[in-house]
Amino acid sequence: MSKVLTVIRKEYIERVHSKAFLIGTLLGPLFMGALVIGPSLLADATGDQARTVAVVDRTGRVVGPLETALAEREDSYVTLTELDCASGEAACLEDLKAMVLAEEADAGLVIPADFFANPEATFYNTAVGAVVLRDDALGPALNQVLQDERFRRENLDPALRAKLFARTGWNTLKLTADAESAQNAEVGIIGGFMMVMIIYIMVLVYGQQNLTVVIEEKTSRMVEVLLASLRPEQLMLGKVLGIGLAALTQVAVWTVAGAAVSAQGLVVAGAEISLSLFGPWFWLNFFVFFLLGYFLYASLYAGIGAMCNSVQDSQQFSVVLTMGMVVPILLMTVVIKAPDQPLATILSLVPFFSPILMFMRISVSNPPLWQVVTSWVLLAGTIWLANKVAGQLFRAGILLYGATPTWGSLAKALRG
Amino acid sequence: MTAAKLDLPEVGEPFLEVRELRKRYGDKLAVDGVSLSIPRGAIYGFLGPNGAGKTTTIRCLMDIILPDHGAMTLGGRPLVRSLRDRIGYLPEERGLYRKMTCQEQLAYLAQLKGVPRREALARAAQWLDRLELGDYAKRKVDSLSKGMQQKVQFAATFIFGPDLVILDEVFSGLDPLNIELMRDLILAERQRGTTILFSTHMLAEAERLCDAVCLIEGGVKILDGSLDSVRAAYPFQMVRVAYRDGGEPPAGLPGVSERRMEDGAWRLELAPGLDPQALLAPLAAAGSLSLFAANRPTLSEIFLVAVRRQRATRRDERSQA
Repeated sequence: MSKVLTVIRKEYIERVHSKAFLIGTLLGPLFMGALVIGPSLLADATGDQARTVAVVDRTGRVVGPLETALAEREDSYVTLTELDCASGEAACLEDLKAMVLAEEADAGLVIPADFFANPEATFYNTAVGAVVLRDDALGPALNQVLQDERFRRENLDPALRAKLFARTGWNTLKLTADAESAQNAEVGIIGGFMMVMIIYIMVLVYGQQNLTVVIEEKTSRMVEVLLASLRPEQLMLGKVLGIGLAALTQVAVWTVAGAAVSAQGLVVAGAEISLSLFGPWFWLNFFVFFLLGYFLYASLYAGIGAMCNSVQDSQQFSVVLTMGMVVPILLMTVVIKAPDQPLATILSLVPFFSPILMFMRISVSNPPLWQVVTSWVLLAGTIWLANKVAGQLFRAGILLYGATPTWGSLAKALRG
Repeated sequence: MTAAKLDLPEVGEPFLEVRELRKRYGDKLAVDGVSLSIPRGAIYGFLGPNGAGKTTTIRCLMDIILPDHGAMTLGGRPLVRSLRDRIGYLPEERGLYRKMTCQEQLAYLAQLKGVPRREALARAAQWLDRLELGDYAKRKVDSLSKGMQQKVQFAATFIFGPDLVILDEVFSGLDPLNIELMRDLILAERQRGTTILFSTHMLAEAERLCDAVCLIEGGVKILDGSLDSVRAAYPFQMVRVAYRDGGEPPAGLPGVSERRMEDGAWRLELAPGLDPQALLAPLAAAGSLSLFAANRPTLSEIFLVAVRRQRATRRDERSQA
């Protein structure tokens, strides 16, 4: 055991002292944050940009109220430019098209003369993306104008409209067996997503280090010297644990830093994120799935590394392993939409997917305890198997130099 | 894990013993029933051409590969894993961690042999001083020249004070200075009572250094014993003759199996048991001799004869079967 500890110590110290570790620890949270918040920030940024819409209003009664309605909106970013149609309707329409084409206006809107009887408007745009402008801003404002006009025609109090069309406000609470928590769904999804990304990135980055480290050991011809001092299984275990400990250190630093920041109140995409929003059960599972996921992938990466002489050689095999982490990321929406349906349940019990999918279910829903525990047990069993497979590959491959491995030679190594 | 303690036998008594070692790779029998008995304190040459099965035998000794059959004992005890902490091994395929400092590297390798960290660091510093690398203790290995890196590898092999050292093709790739250094290290270790298993295909090198040898070829042991006993078993077998006047040795001399010109002199192969003295008179009668040399056979000559004999017996066995 002291030999394994010696290897653990070396791998751990080597990693923690590296510049990459320091940079990763500092920039990791920024990167993850950007990954989660980035898209919504980007959407906001483009949304906030001022837009002009050229309007031909043949009723003569829409532009004014429309401008008011647009200005009343929370995020008013649309300005209207009404065209002067003195020179005739056809010429006026041509002017509008020319403006849109010349990008003097972002879009064109034509309100027909019978708009109030037959509400159908024409929208001109050069980029399909402009429909966001149509559906997000123009549409609701135009509907409001239309409704106001109808209220007027029916001699109804326009103030009534606000009452009639008041929309539902949501107050979403997540129920757990013992308490109702003030967490809202967005926080669950965003927070869960952020933690899932940490598991995903850390398992891949640190798992693959096992592959490169073992290959380095082979190319530097260290391996035979080492095997004269300890068994291949001890060498592999020491590496996997040492590198894993470095990964754990990094996550621990982030967690502590995260707790400190969230104590100040961290607002992400309009929702307050606080570590205390997630209970101990969530945190327990975060570390369980992070560690189990790491061990599963790390030992298999190490086994593959032992069979290969260069990183290029190893790619044909490691890609397959990496897919085991990428596929659940692609399936994540399925789980978020219906976390308790049979499909999500089955997918989240697949050991290679559990670290991502079962954990995602835990953060957006309350999967039954037996399912969570089953996924732990299945994962632990798979790790045990993976270790046997990897150990076998390691013993068979570690002294093979020269030959490029194939799936056939891998299978042969496994048969012993 | 406590470091295994060995009851060392007296110098000269059997220390490492291997019985009937066999290892098969696919259809190829890499090692076929090799038995060795290596006395304590000996420098034991484990000899044979490339592919003879030397490295396979050594890897079995170090538990790097599993033999199909055979027993190994060290100091009379079965060679279990913990006893391997008493064995230093410098493989033919050897390297260092390029990004680690020299001292850390040596300390790490010593720790893996069971030396506590504090002591390992101290010994690493001592060894680096001893090999004139003291200034490089805190430098990374990749800032060292190849020759210096080889010195670090030597130190790693001896640093934990082994009772047995296995050196596989240790001189290949060394410059003359490091060959001399390695030889000195080997002799100093022997002085300490360390047993050295010295595997090489360079027979001349082995002849200079070894007390006892074992020759293997095709996975089979061909001969073994002390250098003297091996030589005694292979007496004079060749006489070199030259004539001042361009004469030549008479053909058909009794007991001469072959004669040919080689490097400006005649080379006569003798039948086993023939005393070269008996040839002097008939050769002198054939002309004015400028050279008559009856040399003791070199190890490589012994080896060639032994291999030929071995192959002939094997052919006979096969044709009988």
